[in-house]
Amino acid sequence: MQRPLWSGFLKSSEKFPARPAILANNQEFTYGEVRERALRLAATIQSLQDPSATPLTAVFAYRSPTAFIGVLGSLLAGNGYVPLNRTFPIERTQVMLHRSECSTLIVDESSLPQLDNLLQAAEKPLAVLIPDLADVQSYKTQWPRHRFLGATDLQPSATWREPKFENDSIAYLLFTSGSTGIPKGVAVAQRNVAAFLDYMVERYAITETDRLSQMFDMTFDLSVFDMFIAWERGACVCCPSQKTLIKPGKFINEAGLTIWFSVPSTAVFMKQLGMLKPGQYPSLRFSLFCGEPLPISSAEAWLAAAPNSIVENLYGPTELTIACTLYGWDPATSAAESELGIVPIGYPYPDMSVLIVDDALNEVAPGQEGELLMNGSQMSLGYWRDTAKTAAAFLVPPGKTEIYYRTGDRVRRPLDNKPLTHLGRIDSQVKIFGHRVELGEVESKVRDACKLDGVVAVGWPRTDSGFGGVEVFVEGRESDLAAIRQTVAADLPEYMVPRRFHFMERLPRNANNKYDRKAMQKLLEEGL
Amino acid sequence: MTAVTPDDVHAFLQTYVAKTLRDQAREVPADLPDDCDLLLNGYVDSLGLLELMTALQDHFGREIDFNELDAEQMTIVGPLKNFVAAELAKS
Repeated sequence: MQRPLWSGFLKSSEKFPARPAILANNQEFTYGEVRERALRLAATIQSLQDPSATPLTAVFAYRSPTAFIGVLGSLLAGNGYVPLNRTFPIERTQVMLHRSECSTLIVDESSLPQLDNLLQAAEKPLAVLIPDLADVQSYKTQWPRHRFLGATDLQPSATWREPKFENDSIAYLLFTSGSTGIPKGVAVAQRNVAAFLDYMVERYAITETDRLSQMFDMTFDLSVFDMFIAWERGACVCCPSQKTLIKPGKFINEAGLTIWFSVPSTAVFMKQLGMLKPGQYPSLRFSLFCGEPLPISSAEAWLAAAPNSIVENLYGPTELTIACTLYGWDPATSAAESELGIVPIGYPYPDMSVLIVDDALNEVAPGQEGELLMNGSQMSLGYWRDTAKTAAAFLVPPGKTEIYYRTGDRVRRPLDNKPLTHLGRIDSQVKIFGHRVELGEVESKVRDACKLDGVVAVGWPRTDSGFGGVEVFVEGRESDLAAIRQTVAADLPEYMVPRRFHFMERLPRNANNKYDRKAMQKLLEEGL
Repeated sequence: MTAVTPDDVHAFLQTYVAKTLRDQAREVPADLPDDCDLLLNGYVDSLGLLELMTALQDHFGREIDFNELDAEQMTIVGPLKNFVAAELAKS
């Protein structure tokens, strides 16, 4: 049966009103408190929103109680949420707000310094909810075009009405890197997330005593796991500060985490900084990784540090809702099932199907390599307001009758009942700390900034699980590098901004006279 | 070998940050005050921080256990330099 995404939270809040739902800013907030505050936001949005408005609310909040309460408030109002991130350049945030067509915006205190800039670019009047401020008069005076509501202006929770729920009601709209230079919005339905949650909460036997990490920013869809898996069963989602993210060892023990979920890069870093000592994290009962390749060495080191936990490797693009295959690491047998030193991505979730195809989208024989296509209950609605891109990625392969999503990931079609192994990408997408980066998007920004055509972006430096960043090669003479860098950085999140620019009279080319990215990578390996 | 002082570490941090920023064609600050937060000022990103930890170990010629350094403090010049000097003083 279909159910709205907020229903699990409400049920838990009735069952466990005094238990903690959120740990943020070093403070715990109970289910009762969070419910009251989320319902007030929801009731306020319901009282303001035109029935013909796009059913989405933007949440401009970062690792704060208001970020979580804002997500719940948006959903309880009957809207999907669009996370905005103050660590991204404001230009990118403006584009996301504009493209999403939101008419309501929830802002937390730490994002307020960017609010004026965001409103400056807003094309239509917005209702701005600032629950962290009692007095919003100065905003009202400065921006007569928009409406502002502070803590004391919110509707009482009793006025909240259960919203209408439809089959395709959106849960969230997330923007991912697009190869043509413009981020793509992926629209995920509440039913997609419900299918994911149903399988995961059972598999990990989540109870109200569990404490889940929240290592992912809300602009990264893996954060949906942390929040909603916890709230389905009355558990607590534990959110570290921006700095603790880099060095989370103490946080694991102090917060008493039982479920760990991060990108493999975090494990790689922790190992290098001496934070994976044997037996260091006894409280963990599951250690989950997703977002980029998991090196065998990281899985082994993590298991030694968290010996009471089961290590699992999850895989899935945003378009297939968070994760859709998984592999349980078994120290005795898994190394033999791995390829290229990377843990397999395993087996599809029960309600998801796999098809592995060649360039012409025909299924390859068992044992052969091909592109991974998948479909099932977690297949999202596609790209927001972009039917052409949706049709290109969500299609019916020859000889089939159902739509599949093309992941762009190269895998081997398993023999017998072996797990799927991830072999790389079919395009120039790279993973940086688990974030999807289309090198084409970086190239397009650099091309515009330099006004030169020959631009090639390369993932660099290589880490055990992917890449640490991006460097670019530019054909032509170096001009004002500081200005170029600034222009590029104004449009891209930090992890996409080239760490170095290399200007060359002529870029390396291959036999077909195409730019040779591998040759450039080799130059970097040789210490350029 | 003479003991490494917090000032020695400070000098290294200054040189390291200057070189990193110059490589990126960015403005180099005249000084790194003790309360300067390398991460929040954008002088290093999270990968840059790891590179810095590695560079500190390479420069001073021994492994440093960063496990005990508080996460909120580790990117601030003063606490970082004092921690590194104290770690290097351990036999």
